[in-house]
Amino acid sequence: MDTIATNRLGLPNLGLGVGLRSKHYSHLMQNDPVVDWFEIISENYMNNFGYGRHVLSHIASIRPVVMHGVSMSVGSTDPLNLDYLKQLKQLADFVNPVWISDHLCWTGVANINTHDLLPLPLTVESLHHVANRVNQIQDILQRPLILENPSTYLEFESSTLHEWEFLSELVNRTGCGLLLDVNNVFVSGFNHGFDPEFYIRNIPHKSVVQIHVAGPTDCDTYLLDTHDQPVPTQVWKLYQLAQELTGGVSTLLEWDANIPEYPELVAEVQKAKEVLKGRLPNVPVYRTSAVDVVSNPVNHQMQATHE
Amino acid sequence: MSELTTLQKWLTSIIVRPGMLDDKIRLADEYYQLKNDKVIRPSLRLSAKQKIEIYSKGYILRLLECIEAEYPALNKLLGQNLFHTFVKAYLVQLPPNSPDLYNLGEAFPAFLKASQPQTTHSDTDVLMYNLPVDLAMFERCIAEVSRIEGLENRIKEGADNQMPYLFNTTAIYTSPCLKLLRLQFPLVDFVQSVYNDLEPEIPVTQDSFVCVCRKNYRINFHELEAWQWHFLNRLQNKPNYMAAVIDTATICSIPTDTIMADLILWIPVAISFGYVYLK
Ligand SMILES: [Fe+2]
Repeated sequence: MDTIATNRLGLPNLGLGVGLRSKHYSHLMQNDPVVDWFEIISENYMNNFGYGRHVLSHIASIRPVVMHGVSMSVGSTDPLNLDYLKQLKQLADFVNPVWISDHLCWTGVANINTHDLLPLPLTVESLHHVANRVNQIQDILQRPLILENPSTYLEFESSTLHEWEFLSELVNRTGCGLLLDVNNVFVSGFNHGFDPEFYIRNIPHKSVVQIHVAGPTDCDTYLLDTHDQPVPTQVWKLYQLAQELTGGVSTLLEWDANIPEYPELVAEVQKAKEVLKGRLPNVPVYRTSAVDVVSNPVNHQMQATHE
Repeated sequence: MSELTTLQKWLTSIIVRPGMLDDKIRLADEYYQLKNDKVIRPSLRLSAKQKIEIYSKGYILRLLECIEAEYPALNKLLGQNLFHTFVKAYLVQLPPNSPDLYNLGEAFPAFLKASQPQTTHSDTDVLMYNLPVDLAMFERCIAEVSRIEGLENRIKEGADNQMPYLFNTTAIYTSPCLKLLRLQFPLVDFVQSVYNDLEPEIPVTQDSFVCVCRKNYRINFHELEAWQWHFLNRLQNKPNYMAAVIDTATICSIPTDTIMADLILWIPVAISFGYVYLK
């Protein structure tokens, strides 16, 4: 197990941040953002020359911004989407992000994009395939790619590696960074019956550049990554462990549905400070028996400003 | 085909295909010569099929949410059940292929138009089927105007207050984010009511000339007079003020002098809404 090591690929610890969401645009244009940094969903600003880009331009002038994508489809067996990567790079030229991240997943195949973060069979074949593509992407973007562990709801029988092993080997082969989503570890751990603490202890801590925290939903037989609730105690506990092992990395609260007013969002991410002092908030995992619970990791924003 | 490719095609086909989960899985198993319970590891709590269902259900719900966000007025007009039926059929016919969700609803108006019944009974029927198509076109137009390149970085400070167009009409251009729609129903009030959370009145058919535009990041949409619409339309196609005046006069059978006199009064309004600007 690694001891404290603050390498982070040489990238800075930005402190506490939140996602830039259209609901808070007008607030942020008139008020101090309070938080240290922002994460954007890249796809919401690619080819967008409307109000969203205007707000982004303002935010990027006063705070560090990180670009987080959902459509790179690193694991797909389709050819790399070079148009997408070109547009991503154009956005990066505009935003000047501190880093660019996406997920260890695939979003579709045969030119279909399901707009979901689909799990890979964790095999040597997949590892070889993903490592090749990460290397190509890093060459195109001319910077390390930061990859996030997704929440998953199924495992393939053919998998021969654990996700932490897969990620460790991927880091070895590509030099990519990791975005450790401790909520996703919690969700997948519950869904597949592994120990989330063991997972977090066994990833390469020096390569962790960023942490995500979020609130999932307990759908009785499985946990769903809904990003629509306060962060539960169990996730904060994993966060505490991850910060201890990494020596401290940028922290971002994800909240994509049922989004609270901005001050409440800020208060939620600031709980991280208390957690690091050992004071864990007492928050149960949100439970529901509703059938139409949806995980919307893409946070679509059709923000027409017609008010 | 590599094993990874096969697995990805198998799972994608189950997720995007319509129908009952069991049928979808059986068809994919047959086609790709796989057995779902040998591909997906079951757990104590969930079978392989139940695990796949989390993804197939999530796919539809997520994309429904996205299209709902783009077409709130159409959703109101059709009612959620019928709206969802159309969206689901649309997603089956045209599964998303763009990394950008903004493109997801792009072909929805054309899809609605194509799904109108081929054999129609009366003119009234035809019109009633056209109402949702018109509304979808209008809402897509609003979505596009909210994102495309606009005037925000082009208008010079104080340009609104200048009146040089009286002397130099060659400086007048249409905004890059101006969109003109010719509809069979006046829909401006309907859409505005939905946006304001009011109960909208179903419009009766009537030729409607609409423009959608953005200025200072505010979206405007208005009903125009036919001659105003034709003038903007001509000017948009060819940036020549006098030619646009003459064409408009011909199309609307209005004397050129009248159009010119009316434009002197109306151009400042068109500038203030950002339909046109002075280069
Ligand atoms: Fe995340």
